[in-house]
Amino acid sequence: MSGTLAARRRIRPGSIAALLGMLVVTALVLLPIAIIVLTAFKPNAEVNAYPPTLAPTNWTLDNLGRIVTELPFGRLAINSVIFAGGVTLFALVFDSLAAYALARIDFRGRKVLLIAIIASLMIPFQATLIPVYQLVAELGWINTFAGLIAPRAADAFGIFLLRQFFLALPLDLDNAARIDGASEFRIFRSIVLPNAVPALMTLGVFTFVNNWNDLLWPLVFTNQAEMGTITSGLTLLTGPGGIIPYGVMMAGSLIAVLPLVVGFLFVQRRFIDNIATTGLK
Amino acid sequence: MTRTPLAAVAALAVAGLALAGCSAGDTPSDGPVELTFWHGYTEADGDVLQGIVDDFNASQDDVVVTTEINTWDVIDDTLLPALSSKTGPDLVAMPAERFPAYASKKAFVDLTDFYADPANNAEDVVEGAKEMTVVDGTSYGIPIGFVPLAIYFDKAAFEAAGIAEAPTDWAGWVEAAKKLTVDENGDGTPERYGVVIPDHATVGNGVWPSLLWGGGGDIVSDGSAVIDSPENADTLAFWHQAIAVDKISPTGVDGIEADSVFSSGKAAMTFGGPWMTFIAADAGIDYGIAPIPAGPEAQAASAIGLTLSVTDQGDQAKIDAAEKFLAYFLDDDNSVAWSLGSGWPPLRSSIPADAVAENPTVATLSQYTSFTRPLLAGVVNSTDVLAALDELTQRAMAGDDIASLLQDAQAKVESALE
Amino acid sequence: MTATPARAYRPPAPLGGRRGSAAGRRRSLTALAFLAPALVILGAFVAWPMISAFRLSFTDASGFGAEEFVGLDNYVRVFTDPDIRDAVLNTLWYTVLFTPTAVISALLLALVLNSPNLPFRGFFRTALFLPFIVSLAVGAFAWSYLLDPRLGLLNYWLQGLGVQLGDVLEDPSLAMPAVALVAVWKNFGFYMVIFLAGLQDIPASLYEAAKVDGAGPLRRFANITVPLLSNTFAFVLTFALIASFQAFDQIYVMTGGGPYGHTQTIVMEIYESGFRKLELGFASALSYVLLIGTLLLSLVQFVFFGRREEDLT
Repeated sequence: MSGTLAARRRIRPGSIAALLGMLVVTALVLLPIAIIVLTAFKPNAEVNAYPPTLAPTNWTLDNLGRIVTELPFGRLAINSVIFAGGVTLFALVFDSLAAYALARIDFRGRKVLLIAIIASLMIPFQATLIPVYQLVAELGWINTFAGLIAPRAADAFGIFLLRQFFLALPLDLDNAARIDGASEFRIFRSIVLPNAVPALMTLGVFTFVNNWNDLLWPLVFTNQAEMGTITSGLTLLTGPGGIIPYGVMMAGSLIAVLPLVVGFLFVQRRFIDNIATTGLK
Repeated sequence: MTRTPLAAVAALAVAGLALAGCSAGDTPSDGPVELTFWHGYTEADGDVLQGIVDDFNASQDDVVVTTEINTWDVIDDTLLPALSSKTGPDLVAMPAERFPAYASKKAFVDLTDFYADPANNAEDVVEGAKEMTVVDGTSYGIPIGFVPLAIYFDKAAFEAAGIAEAPTDWAGWVEAAKKLTVDENGDGTPERYGVVIPDHATVGNGVWPSLLWGGGGDIVSDGSAVIDSPENADTLAFWHQAIAVDKISPTGVDGIEADSVFSSGKAAMTFGGPWMTFIAADAGIDYGIAPIPAGPEAQAASAIGLTLSVTDQGDQAKIDAAEKFLAYFLDDDNSVAWSLGSGWPPLRSSIPADAVAENPTVATLSQYTSFTRPLLAGVVNSTDVLAALDELTQRAMAGDDIASLLQDAQAKVESALE
Repeated sequence: MTATPARAYRPPAPLGGRRGSAAGRRRSLTALAFLAPALVILGAFVAWPMISAFRLSFTDASGFGAEEFVGLDNYVRVFTDPDIRDAVLNTLWYTVLFTPTAVISALLLALVLNSPNLPFRGFFRTALFLPFIVSLAVGAFAWSYLLDPRLGLLNYWLQGLGVQLGDVLEDPSLAMPAVALVAVWKNFGFYMVIFLAGLQDIPASLYEAAKVDGAGPLRRFANITVPLLSNTFAFVLTFALIASFQAFDQIYVMTGGGPYGHTQTIVMEIYESGFRKLELGFASALSYVLLIGTLLLSLVQFVFFGRREEDLT
């Protein structure tokens, strides 16, 4: 850790002030996450008590228990993995192919295509949801993974991000390979892709996280509870009169967020370092 | 040669997607007509409804109904895309204020003939409840829920304050609420309020319509905006005095917060529907039910209403089958079963009172039917009308000038009705 | 867009022939093969729906049943409806609240984190990035609980400090800052990491040389950091602007557009027109006006940062 290195250096008053400031900021930033975790274990009486407390006095598993009994939890978790994983897999393949053409092949209409792709980022998805739905329904894909995944199997942001990265890779290798008679696909697969792992990983994490967290999409494209995802399943947690008990909802949120956070903590170092090299700056 | 591997990747991908697509449900060409039914009854009432559906499926061989349960909000979010591609449910229940928007766009089947046929058990549907299903003179659904907003009160708090009877008029109501308000430390913020009156997004949007009617006013009448009236001005001034000045209720709460204020013991009275009995029982509150006290001009309670409609997606066989289910749902036995199971009063006037006497909530609420009014029946753009009402009441309770607020609200309701 | 990195290479020089030649045609075919899968998906699920929405914007479509051609009526309504004017003003207000706060706080934290004297840099970096992977809906729900006037911890703590926050989400002047704050919370970590990457690209030798020349920390910041970070800054700014024009999730969860319309943004209005009032034609017209507005703004930014469109290719 850089901390141990820094500790060996002479610590100046300026950096102590910076450290304290950072601790305060970090505590504030983590507060909502802490409140999700801690409220998930609070009995209902404490959730509604005044004055409010940060941590529960009596820890309880009731809220988590309710989630597991009220939701087809295992099924939703599997759906989430298939949906977010499927979108990520397809998007990585399709986006990188398209990005390669846009970055490394000189063809007529490239500029127009690129501008069109960037412009499509600026239309809110609420605006095209109905036509997209009609198409998916036409294909008979409502309530299927195909219907959830296909519309997102390529995306403008990913193409744009990977194109920026591919542009920045040195050309010498490609040109040498081209002179040796290698096909464009061969150059793509054995020269560009292996050098693009950081960018692919960044895009992969983005895509997976965004789809895992998406609420409206799985809600609209599946109208059977057993086809929903963990995140969309949270909407099923209502009490009489539409009241959502905070404790139960936080337990649901915890379950929805936990796999992402744990997964992220494993890859975070490389992920954040990778952003540095993906041209996103 | 460069294209071959690429084409293979693309083909593989498309094949993968197509394979996944194969699991879509195919309807067999013969056999029973299969119907889907969307509703938002997520509690014990959902189980009762499922029982009726199961009995229906078992009672004949021609139609099979499958239910899909989601919250009412989710149904609202997903119904439009589903209908737009004819993959929607064949039967759908929805809150009454959301119904006219769909009905006016011809999403639902005209039920005029259905009501006319005595075999369908629909001739004696409660008048106010039927009114909810009418848009431009035509009925596009049957009611599946019609219950008056009522006062739910904490009996122990009433006893401690020495109040024997629930108040019956506004003056008595405010007086009782003052007695019930407890501010032991005298900091001006009571530990318990006499009542909780939400000022926006109220239960079923019905709190303020009930109060405005009680004062002799209205919001929309015969398709025109009538919200800017001296009666409504008086009503708002009266409640501003009681809520903001006399502090009988917390300010700025919405309907859902009001429920939690009551269930956590921070208010002695609240507005609610039958589910309030579960909430109160859960919170260990010994509750009583009373009608909303009469205003100076009228006694009125806004209905919390839900409608059940047959969607028009072009398949006559399904429409006929769905109407069969409606008739079954409305028959004597099921009317009673649904009323008892949901805790909501029977939907047909010929169901005798003693048939539902075993459920005291139903028995009590059934007595209020005569002064229960549907909310904004037939108003297509209820979204904007209710938004204008919310702004009016929230700002009036915050102390803004009532006369100009009413003018604004009048203009907004007029433009929503255009 | 202003996102081309500073070190962008020109595309490969055409090998063997100009665009019109046989070799050029072969290249176009190769490019098409690479693009095909993405183009099929984007064509079907982005371009076609956009065309379809464009057609709908001239009709009174509800999504089902008959629809009629209404000419420019929907567009006229977009520009005359007072509710839309309010939604535009609200969106601009949200943008003013969100964008500078998110970008500047991200930049400041990146500068602090980039200082080699700060201990536990790795921990801070990860912790501050964490909200970015929490769904906005879930985060918004947690914030609603923290800000709850009766049950909220934040309100209670601030009361202890003598600050009466009241019911933030019901307060017409505080609700918008609150929903903007939630978006800042969710996104600043991402922007910060991008800034960090930009900062790490600046060669340390430049700072060393400036130090030798006697430049103080402020001058080093103004003369080295600011100019060399301006591309990154433009990129983050564009991203933040597009995000603020599409504000929806946390508003949907926290205020539903209230109190009485004070957090009703353009996208909330699109959602409400389409899904609540079943006026799909009008919602489509509104979307197109938003799209054109966003494009114009991006164009203005190009000019402002002195970048030319050729940079795109």
